[in-house]
Amino acid sequence: MTLHTELATFLAHSLALESEARERYLELSESLAAHHNGDAAAFFQRMACEAGQHLEEVAELAGDHVLPQLQPWEYAWPDPEAPESASYEALHYRMSLVEAMHLALHKEQDAAAYYRQVASDSLCSETRRVAAGFAAEEEQHAAALQTMIAQLDEPAEHHRLDEDDPQLPA
Amino acid sequence: MNEPIAVSPKSFKSAVKPIWCPGCGHFSVLNAITKAMAALAIDKDNSVLVSGIGCSSRLPAYVDAYGFHGVHGRGLAVAQGLKVARPELTVIALGGDGDGFSIGGNHFLHACRRNVNLVYIAMDNEVYGMTKGQASPTTPMDWDHSKLTPHGPGVRPFKPAAIALAAGAPWIARAYSGNPNQMAKLIAEAIEFEGFSFIHVLSQCITFCPEQTDWKAIVHERSEPPLDSADLAARLFLADDGFATGLLYREPRATWPPPLHIHKNKNKNENEALAALAAAFAAQ
Repeated sequence: MTLHTELATFLAHSLALESEARERYLELSESLAAHHNGDAAAFFQRMACEAGQHLEEVAELAGDHVLPQLQPWEYAWPDPEAPESASYEALHYRMSLVEAMHLALHKEQDAAAYYRQVASDSLCSETRRVAAGFAAEEEQHAAALQTMIAQLDEPAEHHRLDEDDPQLPA
Repeated sequence: MNEPIAVSPKSFKSAVKPIWCPGCGHFSVLNAITKAMAALAIDKDNSVLVSGIGCSSRLPAYVDAYGFHGVHGRGLAVAQGLKVARPELTVIALGGDGDGFSIGGNHFLHACRRNVNLVYIAMDNEVYGMTKGQASPTTPMDWDHSKLTPHGPGVRPFKPAAIALAAGAPWIARAYSGNPNQMAKLIAEAIEFEGFSFIHVLSQCITFCPEQTDWKAIVHERSEPPLDSADLAARLFLADDGFATGLLYREPRATWPPPLHIHKNKNKNENEALAALAAAFAAQ
């Protein structure tokens, strides 16, 4: 992973990270809503809003900088996708609210880890300072999710089992 | 506000929302296609996505461009006809493993051979998802998760890249739904390639093949440059594990139809141009 020696490059990455997180959460929400999983859909909708708010903050910060125009494959992420983009395959149409929260928690932690690494390794002091602020924000999100998860019951062991019984008219 | 790139991939998504199962790999293919179209700033009014039938073939509805949801297995036939008639269009054909390699297997062979300048994306999840998990041409021979093949299909799976090469495809790549950014790059390169470009996408179906979540640990990116010799590529495709991704083979050759049949005849009357086109087709 690049050390982001220039603030503009780091901000371009941060914008992409938050923008893709918002879009992905929206996709997950719409996908679950289409399959009548309202609880998880509403949760991911809320996560999309939060990512959108963070995107606006980053965009405001980036406003005065000339950012590099990078293609999707030119970003230097530690994994194939941006750190806060939840994997499509992690979804299941019968996933519980708690499972949805665990998935989001995992992605918030990934985003925090990414920002922390930049804050630790970048050769640019301003980049390190901004990245540390972003990391702290992602850690707050993660902590809030952990609190919410602790208040909910874990799903039953076989809750995903779908016997696919025929839907007969009443 | 600063945007990550000049044209947003989101602007290439239509208002129709996908109804694929949550977790489906096809979401990633849709994501990659819109990223590639945005990266190349493709003109929506001059691009068409053509599909056959199946889960994956729903994709044209989800892209804000022209689309044709065709007959089962016949997406490539329609796409080739369209490109020959309207060479200025960007044409992307797509479909699944059943649509492309079974019902449309013959069209696949001859599209590779004919080399019309278009992109073909085969979204391979090794199963007929829309009909609830039947074995397809790429299903492993011992896959016993379907009630229709309780002991597995017992037939060796089709090797899409090897077949494409043998049939004459000049550009062959493999992508994975877990890496939409690499896939977007490959699609962009495929659009820019002059000829038939085939992208075999490993696109998981977690509903009927939950074991495909293991692909993440198996898939590996091929770091070497694409092979430019069919002999070497044949050895690679017959020996590889089917999970190496990237642009695997690139050996440009003349596309069909030859340019003279359309462009040099543009000042003659239409009947003469059509006769020349028909003669070229018959001579193949």
